[in-house]
Amino acid sequence: MQSIIHFSRVSRLLATFLVGLLHSVHTVAAQQGRPAWERVEAIQTLLNGAVPRPEAVRLDLPSVTQDGSSVLVTAEIDSPMTPDNHVEELYLFALGNPSPELAEIRFTPLAGRASVSTRIRLDRSQTVVALARTSGGDWLSGSRDVRVTVSGCLSRDATYQADDVMQTRVRVPPRFKAGQASDIRTLINHPMETGLRKDAAGQPIPEQIIELFQARLDDAPVLTVRLHRAIAANPYLVFHMAPEQSGELTLSWEEDTGETTVTTAEIRVD
Amino acid sequence: MIKDAMNRRQSLKLMGAAGLGTMLSASGLPVFAGGASAGRVVIVGGGFGGATAAKYLKRLSPSLDVTLVEPQPRYITCPFTNLYLGGIRTFETLWHDFTELREKYGVRVVHELAEDVDVDRRRLKLAGGEDVSWDRLLLSPGIDLRWGALEGYDEAAAEKAPHAWKPGEQSRLLRRQLEAMEDGGTFILVAPDNPFRCPPGPYERVSMVANYFKNHKPHSKILILDAKDGFSKQGLFMEGWREHYGDMIEWVGRSNDGGVMRVDADTLEVETEFGTVHKAAVLNVVPPQKAGFIADRAGVIDASGWAPIHARSFESQLVEGIYVIGDATQAAPMPKSGFVASTQAKVTARAIIADLGGDTPPEPSWVNTCYSLIAPEWGISIAGVYEVHDGLIREVPGSGGVSPMEADRSFRRKEAEYARAWYAAITQDVWGTRFAF
Repeated sequence: MQSIIHFSRVSRLLATFLVGLLHSVHTVAAQQGRPAWERVEAIQTLLNGAVPRPEAVRLDLPSVTQDGSSVLVTAEIDSPMTPDNHVEELYLFALGNPSPELAEIRFTPLAGRASVSTRIRLDRSQTVVALARTSGGDWLSGSRDVRVTVSGCLSRDATYQADDVMQTRVRVPPRFKAGQASDIRTLINHPMETGLRKDAAGQPIPEQIIELFQARLDDAPVLTVRLHRAIAANPYLVFHMAPEQSGELTLSWEEDTGETTVTTAEIRVD
Repeated sequence: MIKDAMNRRQSLKLMGAAGLGTMLSASGLPVFAGGASAGRVVIVGGGFGGATAAKYLKRLSPSLDVTLVEPQPRYITCPFTNLYLGGIRTFETLWHDFTELREKYGVRVVHELAEDVDVDRRRLKLAGGEDVSWDRLLLSPGIDLRWGALEGYDEAAAEKAPHAWKPGEQSRLLRRQLEAMEDGGTFILVAPDNPFRCPPGPYERVSMVANYFKNHKPHSKILILDAKDGFSKQGLFMEGWREHYGDMIEWVGRSNDGGVMRVDADTLEVETEFGTVHKAAVLNVVPPQKAGFIADRAGVIDASGWAPIHARSFESQLVEGIYVIGDATQAAPMPKSGFVASTQAKVTARAIIADLGGDTPPEPSWVNTCYSLIAPEWGISIAGVYEVHDGLIREVPGSGGVSPMEADRSFRRKEAEYARAWYAAITQDVWGTRFAF
């Protein structure tokens, strides 16, 4: 009897172990179907267990770039951008950089289109990832591999020259059609000092970046962008707005020192 | 899929062996008897890439049947066109014909436009109606311009605001406009984003135009509106511009609103990304580019507009049996230069011969040397050596380099002399042309 009891206990333990093993095998198999970048810490923290729908964020950037100091990237999600159903947040990562965060963008339905372009720094060949969260709580993703080469005909000075730091430029369409999204371009002169460089005396140059961009139409927010140090010098943004009526667009760029530049532009809606 | 590809390749080899009477030697190199062909290689494009490939294929394997398809009776080089535009070299010294390839190396040269590619039947269709069959096709088609990529800049606009980025009548037009321009006018050059043909080219061009202005129209200005925030040999160019031309040349990078979005060829005005309008007396627009159109017909280009290739052989990644070299390829970090096209041609000639003989291509090594003139006696250069590492092309660490900053006048004069010698040497190698320089 004892041996039978013993046996059944063993078999029960074995069965539990096997179920556990099967479960873990199953989990591994599920993970194997997932892209490796989902296990990057910054992304895991953000997703908090959610599984994003792949290929739902269109990422447009060159597959080979000869100049990693300024790479144009566009991220776009198909979304009706209505109050009930719009993209709320978009996160951009460059997984091979010293710190992977590039930018966090918060859209409102007033943006009209969930699309943003900017220029980024890529330290080496790597994967760029975009994650977006909709107002319904769904996660979407997109990724692109980029090869960074330094062309033999393209070596150049890395020094930043601008005598008008914190100067901004903005371009808005002369007229909007009510409720239709049109693009707005803006740029601020700024070195986006990464904190990773050293000066001629070998002393580290402290990080000093533009960290926040906000666009408002009168009092209504259109778009907010948190910028990290891998946004290229002279931060550049293209985004959209779908105004219902004329107003004043206010763009503010805030440096991590607290210094802020504010620009306004008249918006005319037909 | 892979198995199918292998089978096609093997059956082709067998066909080649049986049908063309070739045998394989113990070393794997083809051995040919009785003048039978070692295979038919058809090359499209008679420039630095195509003409070099034709010559070296015949040198390495004289019994190969090599056809070169090039619509023009003579090839006009892009390198040194800027010297012509600056008035320090005649146009005729940029012309190279195909006599040596035809007579000395036995290449069949066909002066027709390659119109289409039948990949399945391995035939190239020429505009005159003839079909040319190949065992291996090598495309060296150079670039085409992306008409319409800049709003308002199409083929008609180029008749008023020339690109002169494919030499020929466009170069003459730009030269005539510069000659006709009144002293005190502004020459605007619109420079494209990477990648494009000849990265230092726009900056050498304004140097040569500045030299012409300095001697003939000293009150004139030059403005470069650039879609980039930096360019090839930038420090050296800017140093040379200050030295020779003072503040005649102004360069405006992308972040300073140098990115041109719209061209009005009738008024010679351009509008930038942030809405600044610049008016030119002479407007030179170098638009965005892509691989030459026959590459598109052959199906070897991807969404980037350029041809992805296998690094070792420059065989297309998309179509088996078709090789692509020169400006049309994605070969970064190798630049789109004439010298690179020529060195790629030599490596790929060996790869094609190896492939026809059933061998793997030899380990490649490529070189680039590239000279730019800032003034007639003021030259600068860049050089690099390239290899395959982990399946990708890279610059050999520690190879190459650029001219030093702050070098003296005699150093720059010697480099200007080397630039002229470079041109004489490479054109003699590629087309057999012999010039006094």
